[in-house]
Amino acid sequence: MKKFVLLALCTAALSACGSAPASFTSPDHTLDPCTLRFSWWGGDDRHQATLDAIALWGERHPEIEIIPEYGGWDGWTEKVSSQLSGSTEPDVMQINYDWLISFSPDGGGFYDLGLLTDQLDLSQFGDEVISFGVSNGILNAVPVSISGRGLFYNSDTYRRYNAEYPATWDDLIALGDRFSEYGIYPIDLDIQSGGTAWYLAVVYVQQTTGRDFMTLDGELGFTEDDIRAALDFYKLLEEHHVIRTIDVRTDEDGTAALYQSPEFIDGRVAGVLEWGSSVGKYELTLSDGVLEAGPLLSDGEGNCTGWMIKPSLLYAISRNTEHPDEAAAFLDFMLNDPEAAEILGTSRGIPVSKVAEEHLESTGMLTGLAQENDSLLEVLDTVTISPYMELPRMKQMYNDAIEKVSYGASDTSAAAAELYSGITDYLARLKR
Amino acid sequence: MKKRVMDNPVGVGKYTGLLLIAPFIAGFFLFTLYPFVSSFILGLTDWDGIRPPRFIGLDNYADLLKNSRTLDSLRVTLKYTLILVPLKLAVSLLTAMVLNLEMKGMGVYRTIFYIPSILGSNLAVVIMWQFIFTSDGLANQLLEAVGLAPVGWYGDPAHAMGMIVLLRLWEFGSAMIIFLNALRDIPREYYDAAKVDGCGKIRCFFAITLPLLKDVIFLNLVLQVIAAMQEFNAPYMITGGGPMGSTYTVGMLIYDEMFRYRNAGYANALSWVLFAAITAVVLILFRITGKINGNGKEERA
Repeated sequence: MKKFVLLALCTAALSACGSAPASFTSPDHTLDPCTLRFSWWGGDDRHQATLDAIALWGERHPEIEIIPEYGGWDGWTEKVSSQLSGSTEPDVMQINYDWLISFSPDGGGFYDLGLLTDQLDLSQFGDEVISFGVSNGILNAVPVSISGRGLFYNSDTYRRYNAEYPATWDDLIALGDRFSEYGIYPIDLDIQSGGTAWYLAVVYVQQTTGRDFMTLDGELGFTEDDIRAALDFYKLLEEHHVIRTIDVRTDEDGTAALYQSPEFIDGRVAGVLEWGSSVGKYELTLSDGVLEAGPLLSDGEGNCTGWMIKPSLLYAISRNTEHPDEAAAFLDFMLNDPEAAEILGTSRGIPVSKVAEEHLESTGMLTGLAQENDSLLEVLDTVTISPYMELPRMKQMYNDAIEKVSYGASDTSAAAAELYSGITDYLARLKR
Repeated sequence: MKKRVMDNPVGVGKYTGLLLIAPFIAGFFLFTLYPFVSSFILGLTDWDGIRPPRFIGLDNYADLLKNSRTLDSLRVTLKYTLILVPLKLAVSLLTAMVLNLEMKGMGVYRTIFYIPSILGSNLAVVIMWQFIFTSDGLANQLLEAVGLAPVGWYGDPAHAMGMIVLLRLWEFGSAMIIFLNALRDIPREYYDAAKVDGCGKIRCFFAITLPLLKDVIFLNLVLQVIAAMQEFNAPYMITGGGPMGSTYTVGMLIYDEMFRYRNAGYANALSWVLFAAITAVVLILFRITGKINGNGKEERA
């Protein structure tokens, strides 16, 4: 009897995990009354805009109720990850670029949007844009916007100290030296979930070497020397008072994000490296118009390569949804409806949907930092970020290396060797 | 026949007892035994939480021993337990003794001292801790007021654990309540008799209070050790495990492996290692205190 119970438990345990390959609920090509859950992360600006758009949907389709689920980015991946494991995820989700590899390496992790084209108008998106949402040949997600990180500055602080926004890496370092007298910093980087410290170092090394950090299909392009150069560059920024050391930053802010930090709000930290699609939350904490986009740094001799772009956000539909038609119709509304586009504005970056972008253009709404950042990146020869670069364990490895270098716990050569082998081992394990 | 009905008026059969405890048994199987067994099995697999798990035997455990991050987190957890538990026992016993004094309004104080334990480590506490311990926060202002140098609480790996320990120390309520009840069970006569014999307060504490509280102290010790070794919330909320991994406990590592890195097989193996570590520590405690008890008996003999 005991043995039987144990055996039964083991079987149950093993069969409960590892969900069976999903057979999707087939679309029936009609819109029926139902309730859909829709989840996203973001700052307050995005939350409000999205809730307003949902209200508009509610007027048009009172029979299809949308239940919003939203919050900040920190911990969001973990939340959705446990929902996906338990098949309790919302019907419609805003997803991050790297989730396609981690949640749907075989293309079966999300609903096949190719089946839903009579509700969802995909002709509004270019082929390259669509390709970002494909996993293993299956269209899992549609990008909302393409964006890259850019530099944004507190214009009050810069004006007060009569400084210009840096245009080259040398300008930036000289500015750090100058600002150190006043105890202020031209920009700041972090090693929290954003990981901007490693990002900027990668941009710098990509620009100087012409090599990409990581390819789209997950091959490491940097050599160990390149990685050391990136860490050296980071250390240089700290030494020249361009950014706060990690020690100083955590002492001053605890674990609070930069946009919540008193140092940023007071203007003592006068710049930030942020996605054009997410800079709104930084704008909100300063007075109107104080935050301004600055040039993307170059070597001063015409080389401004190395800056990166990626689909900043994508929308996907749950593979377990019982209402694929309705979910697709709602997605189409969020992506392609002109009125919705007007409400949503640039709260998720400049939309890549042609009809949405044209509508914003014609109503004069394509202004603001997201747009400025976009147009700065548009004229550059940019690198498309590898989704592998964004995997949480990768980020952890970059941040560990940066932290060790910042605290002086190891020199850049040792940290680079460790990071290099860490990345190559992990990539090999992912491919297995 | 009639007599039997009298003895067993509702017709209790042989399975009625089982039926009555069925809800508990079902709960136990579903929420305790099932996760317990399945986590052990999952610990033997490579599983990303989405696709079917792949059996890999003891590989996870072998990896664990080689992984410096895991060993570091075990070290941090043990250090944290060693610092926190003795301090917490001392503070809660001391407070319990003060609250055991017969004074007006003691009920109010008891409630007040228990409140932090209810708060746990939620967002409000996190913000309060930031308010107190960031570089120009309350703690450093106080230090400067008495002429001491300010301390980098969040940024310095040597101090960050202090903040976590302080948070948990501040939440000494449940240990205190257990001590308070035990203190009330000690008959007053002992103290009165000792006083007549000229026994001072300190002597009374060591000769009467402490020996009579021995079992309760042990109970609290075991409970606190178990809680401390599973610590997750406080470092997750307050320091995020940093700086330099100085507050990165095994609990945080399990969470990260499970939910952040989607390495569920490894996370389950880690839970078993933590379980084994806690069991080992508790067994050692039993062994040590068993010896103390044994010696005590010999002396008396």
